[in-house]
Amino acid sequence: MSAYDVAIVGGGPAGLAAAERTLAAGLSTCIVDEQQRPGGQILRQPPATFAVAGWLDGAPYRQARALLARVAADKALHWRGGVSVLGIAPDADGFVLSLSDGCEGLRDVRARRVLVAGGCYDMPVALPGWTLPGVMSAGAVQTLVKAQQVLPGQRIVLFGTHPLMIVLAQQIVAAGGRVDAVCFAQPFAVIAKAALAHLARALWTPAPLLAAAAGLAALRRSGVPVRFSAPVVRCEGSDQGVMRVVIAGTHGEEALACDVAAQCYGFLPQADLVRQIGARVRWSGPAGGWEAVHDDAMRASVPGLYVAGETTGVAGSDAAMVEGALAGIGMARDAGALGEPAAQRAMRQVRRARARMQGFIDLLRAVADPCAFLPEAAGETLLCRCEDVSAGAVDAAIADAGHLGQAYGASAIKLRCRAGMGLCQGRSCEHALIRRIAAARGCAERDVAGFRARFPARAVSIADMLDGPA
Amino acid sequence: MAAVPTSFDILIVGGGLVGAASAWHLARLGLKVLLVERGHPNAGASGQNAGSLHFQIERRFLEQGEQAAVDGARIVTLNRLAIEEWRGLENLLGRPLDVAMHGGLMVAETEADMDLLAFKVARENALGLDTQLLDAAQLRARAPCLSPALAGAAWLESEGHANPRILVDAYAAGAQAQGAQIRTGTAVTAMAMARDGTYRVTLDGPDGALAVQVPRVLLAAGHRVPHLAGLLGLNVPLYAAPLMMSVTDRTEPVLPYLIQHVGARLSMKQTEDGNLLIGGGWASRLAKRADGTPDLDQPAIMDRANLRANLAVAARVMPLLKRRALLRTWTGTTCISADQLPIVGEIAAAPGLFVAAGGSLFTLGPVLARLLAQTIAQGSAQGIGAGPLALFQPRRFAHLDAFAVLP
Amino acid sequence: MKRIEDNVARPASITVLIDGVALRAYPGETVAVAVLASDTRRFRDDRGGRPRGMFCNMGTCAECTVWIARGDGPWRRLRACLVPVEPGLRITTRDPEAAA
Repeated sequence: MSAYDVAIVGGGPAGLAAAERTLAAGLSTCIVDEQQRPGGQILRQPPATFAVAGWLDGAPYRQARALLARVAADKALHWRGGVSVLGIAPDADGFVLSLSDGCEGLRDVRARRVLVAGGCYDMPVALPGWTLPGVMSAGAVQTLVKAQQVLPGQRIVLFGTHPLMIVLAQQIVAAGGRVDAVCFAQPFAVIAKAALAHLARALWTPAPLLAAAAGLAALRRSGVPVRFSAPVVRCEGSDQGVMRVVIAGTHGEEALACDVAAQCYGFLPQADLVRQIGARVRWSGPAGGWEAVHDDAMRASVPGLYVAGETTGVAGSDAAMVEGALAGIGMARDAGALGEPAAQRAMRQVRRARARMQGFIDLLRAVADPCAFLPEAAGETLLCRCEDVSAGAVDAAIADAGHLGQAYGASAIKLRCRAGMGLCQGRSCEHALIRRIAAARGCAERDVAGFRARFPARAVSIADMLDGPA
Repeated sequence: MAAVPTSFDILIVGGGLVGAASAWHLARLGLKVLLVERGHPNAGASGQNAGSLHFQIERRFLEQGEQAAVDGARIVTLNRLAIEEWRGLENLLGRPLDVAMHGGLMVAETEADMDLLAFKVARENALGLDTQLLDAAQLRARAPCLSPALAGAAWLESEGHANPRILVDAYAAGAQAQGAQIRTGTAVTAMAMARDGTYRVTLDGPDGALAVQVPRVLLAAGHRVPHLAGLLGLNVPLYAAPLMMSVTDRTEPVLPYLIQHVGARLSMKQTEDGNLLIGGGWASRLAKRADGTPDLDQPAIMDRANLRANLAVAARVMPLLKRRALLRTWTGTTCISADQLPIVGEIAAAPGLFVAAGGSLFTLGPVLARLLAQTIAQGSAQGIGAGPLALFQPRRFAHLDAFAVLP
Repeated sequence: MKRIEDNVARPASITVLIDGVALRAYPGETVAVAVLASDTRRFRDDRGGRPRGMFCNMGTCAECTVWIARGDGPWRRLRACLVPVEPGLRITTRDPEAAA
């Protein structure tokens, strides 16, 4: 099988923007994505069999939708949807990607250059009761509404620290659903102070700020209570699922009835493949997770590997688009398909666009910063959802490891108590382990070694591993 | 650098199973022990191996011809001691170690496999290991979860598995309680023999460089032992063997036994938690430096073709695997010696320098560490220990140090 | 769970088997939605036997992992949130052999 010039992992704004540039330069390009259709989580499309009138027609989505329409219409693009990348390994003149679609067996794709634009995922935040059915991530609710066109509950409560809750609440209401409350853990004053500190630079790109203000107003008109200083401390319910969340407000505890409780404390970069191949990552502030390190043309530390979008640090879809374009230009130049002067001109332009966005990105990070507002998880509360490992068991393992010295990271704790050994391969609990280890060792999170990313990057059916060409 | 005011009786290099177990035994025997580990305890092959307790003659000895099989059979004597060691280990260490000794099956798929098993069982029985040959029907009655297409198996009731994730902790914590000092994140950067025959070792750790002077050193650092011995100009013929292990999601208890295969590389077992562990000596690849030489500082790289071959053998033997999920494949680097037997004992050219490494050291580690500790503490292993340990003496490779200059 | 009807045109519904029960679903929507539509929020049981629901709906948390077979094909462990419903799909939230 011949190699592509470029394989892109992730068909969201970053991957699409990169593909647009590499295709324009005449490079053979494929995009691999776990979703059936391109767009990423931000533009997660309804099934191709559905027709949805007025789908995501708001202004904030306009630019990304235009990009999606352009690239998806390009016949030269090889789109491989519904496919997981299990691993990336160096090959004779580039890389080989191991792919699984869950039914046809293992397939390989070879490419001279690979861009990992894997996006991000909702940071799973442990609190008592968070394993009850109906407690889910905000991203889960949002993609159910905008892509699957379903309302997961009759009474939905959103809680956390991230302003995405405003957008999501509007979308639920617009779809005919009911949002019982949006609960920000932070006091309004904390948000206002963080916003003001970054406001001047953020106004370089005023659109998202205006959208946020309009969203708040719209929610008020719809009668959705938006509350501040309202940290959810636990979820309660029965075996059937969640029935209420409990807020520890300024006047004591208060229960809010719900059948879906969606948490929204921020997002972690998807960087498993980058880590698996041994490219450098660093702890991602402030929410956490590991972000890929890159140079000014989005090249990762492994030659031939590029990174863009949330994989390099969560900054939103506008930033992902310009970073993707930068990576695409860089790949075209490095492949000899774009002359140096033209590449430099094009790069200057997108770098300027990226620089203008930094003010709003910094503002959003500061406003949404979850670190001081993460709920307490102790004792029996599970940190590792897959293996049912409690916070108490993790803390005991940390104490145990500490007796033998301070050279331990997340893997040593995993070996002792099984946290991170389950089906999600540690994606849900790694950040929580690292925070606890850093606290115990008295060091920064960035100095704690994370889990070692292994093949397969996604748990895969063994039947699928055995099928497919040798 | 700090001066050399240490009063340790022995420096152990390597915080894996052999190092930690030796530290515990030596401390119990009254020696002042310093153990150094470059990472965290159990971070190397001791924690990465599959935790098999295998006492039948291994396939790797059977696939090299009859003479190798006869030579390999000598290890059976030690295996019998290891069985007793494992039976008493949880009591001895006072902790649960997930030791399960419910039996092991070395399966055969073909008539040729069955012939090899019969040969093997005869040798084992002659050496006092009570392996039994099972035909297809007997095998099916014993292990209904395995494929009905199998031709038979060799059964040994004392085989099984233990949890490699917690064993080293138990030894290391025990050693600490007995007064041993453990320094993690601490690597050996230089080693020299002084004129009085003691060893001056430079360590690099969290607090910077440190020199110690000790009468004895035990190298228990797996595939790093040749490098460490090389610091003294000595040759220990151990070679890095990068392997792979895989684990599935948890399932109901289906497999109480350790499964091996006489005709193919396979080890398979189910953990206490329900995961199926699959391995059996399939190779991964050593990472390379820019100049193409092996880079033992980097983890070995998974080889996908070998992984699929390993899973294929496993699913042939136990078809229910196909409806499980592969969670993770990891690599670990063990080592093999020039004659495939571990190298355990004192280096002839360097009195006071001991080595313990060389493969199969999860199964054999606890008993070897005990025998070696006795040798070190008392000048010789007592009673029954002297015989089996003699098989592993580094003396058999003394010719490699004919040109060493010490001190 | 409730399917949004306004402004959404779906293809003709089909029937899929979930834990042996025939359920209506729409080609293209995910198996996860088909399970949620059966009015249970349970996708699996945890180690203590308590039910667990889906969490991330984007293939990351694996909480929605079930067994899926196409027609008479082999069972495969797959994330329900990623697999589109199609005719002839069989889905089980419990080990198919152990349950048999």
